[in-house]
Amino acid sequence: MGISRDSRHKRSHTGAKRAQYRKKRKFELGRQPGNTKLGPKRIHEVRVRGGNRKFRALRLDSGNFSWGSESITKKTRIIAVVYNASNNELVRTNTLVKGAIIQIDATPFRQWFEAHYAQPLGRRKKKEGQAESEELSKKRSKHVQRKIDSRKEDAKVDPLLDDQFTTGRLYAIIRSRPGQVGRADGYILEGKELEFYVRKIKSKK
Amino acid sequence: MSEQVEKAFQKQVGIFQNPKASKKVKAKNLRWYKDVGLGFKTPKEAIEGHYIDKKCPWTGEVSIRGRILSGVVVSVKMKRTIIVRREYLHYVTKYNRYEKRHKNLAAHLSPAFVGVSPGDIVTVGQCRPLSKTVRFNVLKVQKRIQKGPKQFAKF
Repeated sequence: MGISRDSRHKRSHTGAKRAQYRKKRKFELGRQPGNTKLGPKRIHEVRVRGGNRKFRALRLDSGNFSWGSESITKKTRIIAVVYNASNNELVRTNTLVKGAIIQIDATPFRQWFEAHYAQPLGRRKKKEGQAESEELSKKRSKHVQRKIDSRKEDAKVDPLLDDQFTTGRLYAIIRSRPGQVGRADGYILEGKELEFYVRKIKSKK
Repeated sequence: MSEQVEKAFQKQVGIFQNPKASKKVKAKNLRWYKDVGLGFKTPKEAIEGHYIDKKCPWTGEVSIRGRILSGVVVSVKMKRTIIVRREYLHYVTKYNRYEKRHKNLAAHLSPAFVGVSPGDIVTVGQCRPLSKTVRFNVLKVQKRIQKGPKQFAKF
């Protein structure tokens, strides 16, 4: 192996070839990439410079994702990697990296929404005789009911997001570095960003 | 709109752009900018513009510290970076005379500066390494005055 992160092996700004006058040093070391895939959690701990630790996630299946406009964060299952701006290979092999667009399980967010606003989210058009979910038709105390009524106007959800809720999968982006901290956390895509990436994904297909 | 030319969504990290439609936040073009200090004016284009540049001293994540130098712009052909030429005199003791020397410097040019062309005088400030050779960021541009033929200018 011997991955090193020095610049002594590169040509200088003027183009001159730099002579090698010393061996590789340990403080210049680089390590093999983690390439975290989807699967049952497998994380290796690495001792790094100064005695500190890095958590190299080799396989992950869930992460903590935030829904920005509602300001909540839930732990969810990661389903698949859908887009990567740097490398299509990483999409094909379902590699989790920072900045990868993924699909996550929508159920924790839907459950929270229905408990918080008492309105259905991502339900298909009512089939005849289909009962409302337990969450929506639960009997509530007057205090709780008042709270829910005061939140009524805020309960609107962007139509693009609503569609994703019907399929049960939300688009999110990973913002942590799985190979460094051992977690795949991020936020749900909304607004302009969501439109941008949906367009990119569609043009790929 | 037109600033999304890359494969990844370009935005300023840290400002949240999607408050709910019902909330009253009407500030279109939510933009974060800062003052670089040392008396350098932040350009209007940095505050009102729409470009995204993480290496811009006003709207990006670099800080200006260390040396402040100036020079003449030599080439503007690179994407968002320029070459600055700094001339100086070197004293040769044996002959009691000076000789002309120059050094070229690669500096990052923020999109806040429009219409920079070779010959302009530019003030650059030191920042952290932005690429293999770029350690400076352009802070101020002064258009070259249309004078006579090229002259040696010491800074």
